[in-house]
Amino acid sequence: MAEIKEITRKLEEIHKKIKAEIPWEPVGPTPMPEMPDLRQWDMRLLKTYTPFYSPFCDLCCFCTYGKCDLTEGKRGACGIDIATQQARFILLACLIGCSAHAAHGGHILEFLIERHGSDKKVDLGTSIEVEAPNIRTVVGLKPETLGDLQIALEYVFKEIAHLLDSCHTGQEGSALDYESKALHASMLDHVGMEIADIAQIVGFDFPTSVADTPLVDMGWGAIDKSKPVILVSGHNPATSTVVIDYLREHNLEDQVEVCGLCCTALETTRYSDKAKIVGPLSRQLFFMRAGIADVIMTDEQCIRTDTPQEAAKVGSAVIACLDKAMYGLEDATEMDPDEIVRRMVDNKEQFAILDSPKAAEVAVRVAMAIAPQRKKGWVAEEEAIELAKKCTNCGMCEQVCPNLFSIGGGITEVAKGNFDLIRQQFLRCIGCGKCEEECPNNVPIFKIMQTAAGMETWKCRAGRGPVMDTEIRNVGAPLTLGTIPGVIALVGCSNYPDIDDVADMVDEFARRKYIVVLTGCAAMVAGMKKDKDGLTVYEKYPPDFDGGGVVNIGSCVSNAHISGAAIKIANIFAALPLRGNYEVMADYVLNRVGACGVAWGAMSQKAASIGTGFNRLGVPVVLGPHSSKYRRLFLSRKEEDDWKVMDARKREIVDTVEPAPEHLAYVCETKEKAMPMIAKLCIRRNDTPQGRAIKLNHYVSLYKKYIGAGLPEDIHLFVRRDADIPLVYKKEVRAYLQEIGWQPREPIGLPTLIGTYPTKVPVDAVIH
Amino acid sequence: MVIPLHRVNIFTGTKSGIAIDSAQEYADLIHRAKRPLLVVGPLLLASLPDGKLLLEYALDIAKAAGIPICATAQTRGKIVESGVQPDSVYDVVEIVNALKGPDWQGVKKEGNHDLVIFFGIRSDLGNQSLSTLKHFAPHLKTMTLCKYYFPHANYSLPNFKKDAKWQEFLESLIANLKKGD
Repeated sequence: MAEIKEITRKLEEIHKKIKAEIPWEPVGPTPMPEMPDLRQWDMRLLKTYTPFYSPFCDLCCFCTYGKCDLTEGKRGACGIDIATQQARFILLACLIGCSAHAAHGGHILEFLIERHGSDKKVDLGTSIEVEAPNIRTVVGLKPETLGDLQIALEYVFKEIAHLLDSCHTGQEGSALDYESKALHASMLDHVGMEIADIAQIVGFDFPTSVADTPLVDMGWGAIDKSKPVILVSGHNPATSTVVIDYLREHNLEDQVEVCGLCCTALETTRYSDKAKIVGPLSRQLFFMRAGIADVIMTDEQCIRTDTPQEAAKVGSAVIACLDKAMYGLEDATEMDPDEIVRRMVDNKEQFAILDSPKAAEVAVRVAMAIAPQRKKGWVAEEEAIELAKKCTNCGMCEQVCPNLFSIGGGITEVAKGNFDLIRQQFLRCIGCGKCEEECPNNVPIFKIMQTAAGMETWKCRAGRGPVMDTEIRNVGAPLTLGTIPGVIALVGCSNYPDIDDVADMVDEFARRKYIVVLTGCAAMVAGMKKDKDGLTVYEKYPPDFDGGGVVNIGSCVSNAHISGAAIKIANIFAALPLRGNYEVMADYVLNRVGACGVAWGAMSQKAASIGTGFNRLGVPVVLGPHSSKYRRLFLSRKEEDDWKVMDARKREIVDTVEPAPEHLAYVCETKEKAMPMIAKLCIRRNDTPQGRAIKLNHYVSLYKKYIGAGLPEDIHLFVRRDADIPLVYKKEVRAYLQEIGWQPREPIGLPTLIGTYPTKVPVDAVIH
Repeated sequence: MVIPLHRVNIFTGTKSGIAIDSAQEYADLIHRAKRPLLVVGPLLLASLPDGKLLLEYALDIAKAAGIPICATAQTRGKIVESGVQPDSVYDVVEIVNALKGPDWQGVKKEGNHDLVIFFGIRSDLGNQSLSTLKHFAPHLKTMTLCKYYFPHANYSLPNFKKDAKWQEFLESLIANLKKGD
């Protein structure tokens, strides 16, 4: 009885917070879900997509009981086993990622509420009515003001604390439960990202309800180094937008160059099309060492922790603008700007300034003061040849290279006057600088590589924010029927096996009329390759969320608009209520929306939580080979796993046999393998025969193109009836099916996992 | 203790692979296995300075010892071009996922493999995959033929500084495997 009272009290509190009395939709079964509320959904997913662990080390060194040896079935002193320890580590990574985005959202909200007030309306333009699909689905709240976003954020913060608590020594003892918690944290991440980006769009007037955003300049060559140059680096636009404001107010916008690295670059170009993108994270150290920036302003996440030291080497000034990364610098937030400028110019001091307008003023004044005295230039080829002569190609550099290649080969070629190899290597370089640190001959590798960095300029489309409701209405039917073969989301960091891979993937799938969406560093590097006509993918393909479109959604936090688009397909196109109705949304996406995420260069904890959040929503994610170091994948074992679904129309459980989608988190070793895998992971059980034939056509043709002759070895699992076989391969596929004794089977009318596991959600809830 | 070449991946903890540079010893280990499997990766699509495709060594080893081949990534096409039909096609994480189930029947449906030989998989992914087997597949042993030391394998080659030495080892291994027929 007491328990029921407690549940009722809790629910009343939640209903109050989410303003349940406003009847825009009935409140579903899980508004503001806590850890156990979606556990059954997770367990159902994990039954088919079993966690696959690759421990990085044999030990646990979390507490002073240890180090504990966890090999050969041994448990730690606290009782933990190796699988559970990996899952705990994954949860921690996802929590760090989730916290980074949520705290970013919290800072932006605070900043914008101070500027505009908490009553500032959330208005994303005339083409977007479902403004916050993640918040609406998870929290159950329809945010109408910046103040409402704070309610959602408080919920995220509360859950983060509970989840982090579960990582303490002597808590959770099940790998599966830790995975459920990681899925929970990562779902919250999408809420946090959505809060951050909606606030940014509303507060900074970023583009919204528009597809054709400006094409902005990208690359070192785009930066006019004859002007004072301010480099903004990180993710939080509270700093960079204020710099632009200051320049506009003082009529200096054409006199000072503002450029950005990583997501802050993308955010800045959403604010000003005069801002330039230097490139992704992997270009950070190169650009800093080139000394082009007169002032470097750091904010948060993925900024090099040695920025002050590197900047000092080349005479760039540094201002740390956010409390998350203050580098031990003196806090000058309360200091008089004249005094700060004087000390930065005269004494070359670096400061933390946690007041954006003051930081902006100081940055501009310092840049203008020191730029004329600074010498900025690239290393000439002749000089590079001389520097390269110190290299003995001893191979020490390869030993520490995270991308596992020997730069020494390229350097020794430079010494002979040949720059071809080093230019190719530059595309594989993730820019960490470990090689130079390791070099016993002190070869200035980064300096030599400036000759390979290229002064070329490219075009990147400015991030456009959420997918419009009108676009969802147009593509809803073709996507769920399969006639648009899928949505491919290329997201995340820049630890690429080869930077060109991303542009190649975009081109391949856009040409095949998939919808290609991008965010973060992936969105930048997609534009860093030109075709034979000199066009980047942003110039070659339309910016619409439609078959054949290439859409830059925006920065890392804009990833929430991709998961949001999937939810909107269920809500707007299929008319399923989303409010506090996560399981129904995720079940719809898993079974009917042919979407696949590709985090080809994933490096960070944020990438871990973004990807895992997509997984809980039913979107599979393909990762690059190094991502095996995340320690965990979600894999099925094809025929041997449970592919049963409920046919909601007939109310019967059916064994579909088909692994669709086959995996939820998957590592591919090469681009060649990834291409057909991405196409395969867009197959869904509800595809019409026409849609399935289109999807299989791409799967087979990509397989033949990249893997070699013959049909994919598992093609029979995806052919339900003869009508599913693509016309072009009819004869070949039929012959193969006959050879292996394939039998036709009926497609499912309305496939759902609801009804196949214990849940409060009735099967009726998925019928639209 | 042998330090792996790609030191970025060295932290294995307490249980590291045995480094063996004797082709005879490797051949004996392979001969002793009842159901070995050769997992072939895309690094074998490269050629050595003398022009010989690394994949040829893999195919020769498989042929000499009658080991079934699992083609990963895009290797299937080249293997077929060489006139060989791989016994199975999986990507590396898929074959490892299958191998870790003790009841899996193997690529020949004759029972799970007792020795899995990795050849041509990039070292970070290869080492992580070997770690999965080390921790979750106590029913089998693992071996590598790449020119670097893999700490998560049961048996690994040491780091070969020169390709010629590695080439010599591979040729000697093939000869020893043939001898054991």
